[in-house]
Amino acid sequence: MRSSTRVAAVAVMTLTVAGALAGCSTKGSSESSSKDFSFWSFTGINAKADVQAYEKAHPDVHIKLTEVGGSTDTANELTTALAGGKVPDLVLIQGDDLPKFVQHPGNFVDLRTLGASNIKNNYAPAIWDQSVAADGQVLGVPTDVGGMALSYRKDLFAAAGLPTDPDQVSALMSNWQDFLKVAQQYTQKTHKPFIDNAETSIFYQAVNQGSEKYYNSARQLDYSNAQVKAAFDLALQGVQDGIAANLTTFTTAWSAGLQKGAFAVVATPSWMLGSVRTNAPNTSGKWGVAKIPNGSGNWGGSYLAIPKRAANPQAAWNYIKNSQSPQSQLNHFLTSGALPTTIANYSNPQLLGKTDPFFSDAPIGKIFTESIVGLKSFYIGPDSAQIGTDYLSAIQNVENKKIPASQAWSSAQSAIKRDVGQ
Amino acid sequence: MAEATAERQRVAARATPETRPRRRRLGRVPWWVYAILGFAASLSIFPLYWMFVVASTNSAAATQLPPRVVPGGNFAHMVGVVFSTVPFAQSILNSFIIAGVIGGGQAVMCALAGFAFAKLRFRGRNALFLIVLLTMTVPAQLSIIPQYTIISKLNWVDTLQGVIFPGLASAFGIFWMRQYLATTMDDALMGAARIDGANSWQIFWRIAFPIVRPAAFVLGLLGFVTAWNDFLWPFIVLKSPENYTVQIAIQALQRSYTVNLGLAMAGSFLSAVPLLFVFFFVGRRLVAGIMEGAFKG
Amino acid sequence: MTTTTAIRPAPGLARIRESLPERFAPYAYIAPFFVLFGIFGLFPMAFTFVISLYEWDPLGDKTFVGLHNFNTLLTDPRFWNATENTVSIWFLSTVPQLLIALGLAHLLHAARLRFANFFRMSLLVPYITSTAATAIVFLQLFDAHYGLITWFLTLFDGNPINWLAGRLTSQIVIAVMIIWRWSGFTTLLYLAGLQSIPRELYDAASVDGAGRWRQLTNITVPSLRPVIIFTIITSTIGGLQTFTEPLLLDPGSTMCGPARQCQTLTLYLYEQGFTDFKFGYGAAIGVALFVIIIVLAAINFALSTRLRGAR
Repeated sequence: MRSSTRVAAVAVMTLTVAGALAGCSTKGSSESSSKDFSFWSFTGINAKADVQAYEKAHPDVHIKLTEVGGSTDTANELTTALAGGKVPDLVLIQGDDLPKFVQHPGNFVDLRTLGASNIKNNYAPAIWDQSVAADGQVLGVPTDVGGMALSYRKDLFAAAGLPTDPDQVSALMSNWQDFLKVAQQYTQKTHKPFIDNAETSIFYQAVNQGSEKYYNSARQLDYSNAQVKAAFDLALQGVQDGIAANLTTFTTAWSAGLQKGAFAVVATPSWMLGSVRTNAPNTSGKWGVAKIPNGSGNWGGSYLAIPKRAANPQAAWNYIKNSQSPQSQLNHFLTSGALPTTIANYSNPQLLGKTDPFFSDAPIGKIFTESIVGLKSFYIGPDSAQIGTDYLSAIQNVENKKIPASQAWSSAQSAIKRDVGQ
Repeated sequence: MAEATAERQRVAARATPETRPRRRRLGRVPWWVYAILGFAASLSIFPLYWMFVVASTNSAAATQLPPRVVPGGNFAHMVGVVFSTVPFAQSILNSFIIAGVIGGGQAVMCALAGFAFAKLRFRGRNALFLIVLLTMTVPAQLSIIPQYTIISKLNWVDTLQGVIFPGLASAFGIFWMRQYLATTMDDALMGAARIDGANSWQIFWRIAFPIVRPAAFVLGLLGFVTAWNDFLWPFIVLKSPENYTVQIAIQALQRSYTVNLGLAMAGSFLSAVPLLFVFFFVGRRLVAGIMEGAFKG
Repeated sequence: MTTTTAIRPAPGLARIRESLPERFAPYAYIAPFFVLFGIFGLFPMAFTFVISLYEWDPLGDKTFVGLHNFNTLLTDPRFWNATENTVSIWFLSTVPQLLIALGLAHLLHAARLRFANFFRMSLLVPYITSTAATAIVFLQLFDAHYGLITWFLTLFDGNPINWLAGRLTSQIVIAVMIIWRWSGFTTLLYLAGLQSIPRELYDAASVDGAGRWRQLTNITVPSLRPVIIFTIITSTIGGLQTFTEPLLLDPGSTMCGPARQCQTLTLYLYEQGFTDFKFGYGAAIGVALFVIIIVLAAINFALSTRLRGAR
């Protein structure tokens, strides 16, 4: 017994010393040369592939990539870091989270000082403008837009007697009312849910299609926006019709549902195609892609930004210039399906002709490009993400039978007031 | 009547615990005791076992109905994927360093301070001890916001020391060490040593420490386990994957747009393995220490 | 608390003045602890009280608002929701846990129990499993659509339970996680207590004609009283701070369910502080939590010691 305690004591001493040394060493292990930089990106979008491609083309550059989490996690970590921690040199910010940062432009490098004005014209103006602050500072370069589409299971549609050809499906559900009708037909025939959930696949899509979202054109929070209410009511209708599977997007149950064909339809912006592919590889070839009801809209899209206290802003900027050039964005699209923000690509035959075998060779380039053609750019205010979550929660509460549908709108309103008002 | 008297005499004759007969008067242990204990043991182990089942099969096994309860053959492959998705080996090392330093540090500091509170007389002793006692009732989460501010001013965000140092001061450890020494260390010994001219450090090193060593060891173990499993503070402090502890690493596996359950399960199982390993060697000590602590406390 | 009634050194020696280093030695011994404790324990605690008087957005600036945060707190339905949840989770997890531990300790106490060490160590396995791993597993076991436990229950009663959706059901899941983790540890504490009861007491009682139930209530429980009080206090303090389980039960969210059905106070604190970035308000919640813990722990302590006195 005694000797084992002695051994333990020695072990403890060694660990203490090791710990002290390790502690000191991790502090000093930051970037070695000014060409290297640290990069925070999201999980699930295969950021590693882009980074490795860049490093291959530029062997003298080493990038420290951190896939922080989902887009909201990354935005929260960034906020904490800006408040007093270590900031990365380069960070990816999702469109819904961007406005909050644009409100305090002092936290980021004005990219015009690095040459943003030279590349500005490559990008769609409505999308570029989202990252421009009140005094004209450019905070981010847009990397991709979501566009909108409906992915559907051809085999399940066929079994329910619905057409499977994409054009026919698009025509069948050209607006949300028809969509709900078809959904009801499907559910009545097969006794299975039509769509994965109402809050994301109906509300989030419909609300991103209007000319205004949560804020009106005067940049003020509009609590009684008719377009938002219309989208909200659509989702509630879906819940009441019983056509939703009540599987929250990106959860393990949702993933399992994709694999098992628990629902026939899921709304997919261009970047979400990858999620379907990775979550349900066994369903390859069974999907088709049709137009979203109402034809156009955009959900998602991100920006690359450089925090003010970055140690290697120039290296980060080189990466931005390089990876967001029209050609690079096209290559990125061809591998991942995320739609470019560079105007030149929208008429590029390579993009328009791209098909995806996973989705039965659907012409995804064409579909997503067309979905953003009629895109009206609306102002995304600083608390957009929080407000969206509040509406989402209200719909989920109705799904979970915690509140009746009649109270959903007011409960969302009071939640928003509480979150944003204070 | 005579039997009762005889019985009473027999009871009275039992002087010390050592002469207690080993056998319970009511006979052998009934089968249902084993059944219940076995059930409790299997409930305790089942979640870990099921983790292994999923980790050794694939993601779909987690959502299979009727559920799968038999391991598959895929474990090695899954482990490989875990290690390539997050720097898992590094995170295990980080956890060992953090938990080891905290466990060892607590044991040493609390033994020393406990000795001072128990056996030495100095001004302010009672007041300081009372402060320590009071803070045992305060939740750790209360202070996370200012603690984070302090850590970031020290430039310790996203570093191991930012996790280690706040975790070193354990009020419970002081309380326990003081209690232990007060009840087990004989003042006579100390008096004799003082007569011999020993100063307090020699008293500590020669007398107190050997006495308190087993308890300090258990305190260190408890501190190690607690620090190993700690989630909240490392979650707030650590940002870069190479600094992750095991807990953050497996939560990172869960935190993505592509939820790969097999991966998350494999990571979870792997995170329990080092501790199970340590437990295998010192588990009996841990059990004994917990029970002894209750007895002396 | 013990008193140091021991053999005192001879009176003459007691008057020998300690050398200066000797007098300061005790402070040196407690210094490492108190330095760290001061910086990372006391000071943040005090500072939290200060921050709670401000409105502080880390991206913006700090403004002094006095007791405004506390005013908001009192009328904040989410705060009261979190308080209710915290207390009910505490109750749901503590009571069964202590009863189970008591029962298991009793069984483990049987003399001549074979595999005793195996049982004891297996009961500790949950304690050494990490909270993150536990949450991931239980999240799956209790999944509304595909969970093993959910499925198992449908064998008895048809409909699958959507655990996360309901208030009570989501809290039951969290309580189960806590009970699973801590029962073994508590069992060992009670077992030690049981083993320290002299057997003569029982033998004398049986001779006096007391049945097993009387023995339990008149000997076992009173002797275990100190340990039981200890476990009640520690599980009060610990249970009211539940954070990891609610956080991981609803991945990606800090609300624990869209209607905050299982959000505890600590999670609410974290949400306000690190997701909504209202540092001042988060600190105010922390202060409120502190008050609640002190009050409940004091009530528990008073109740348990008074019960002892009543006997």
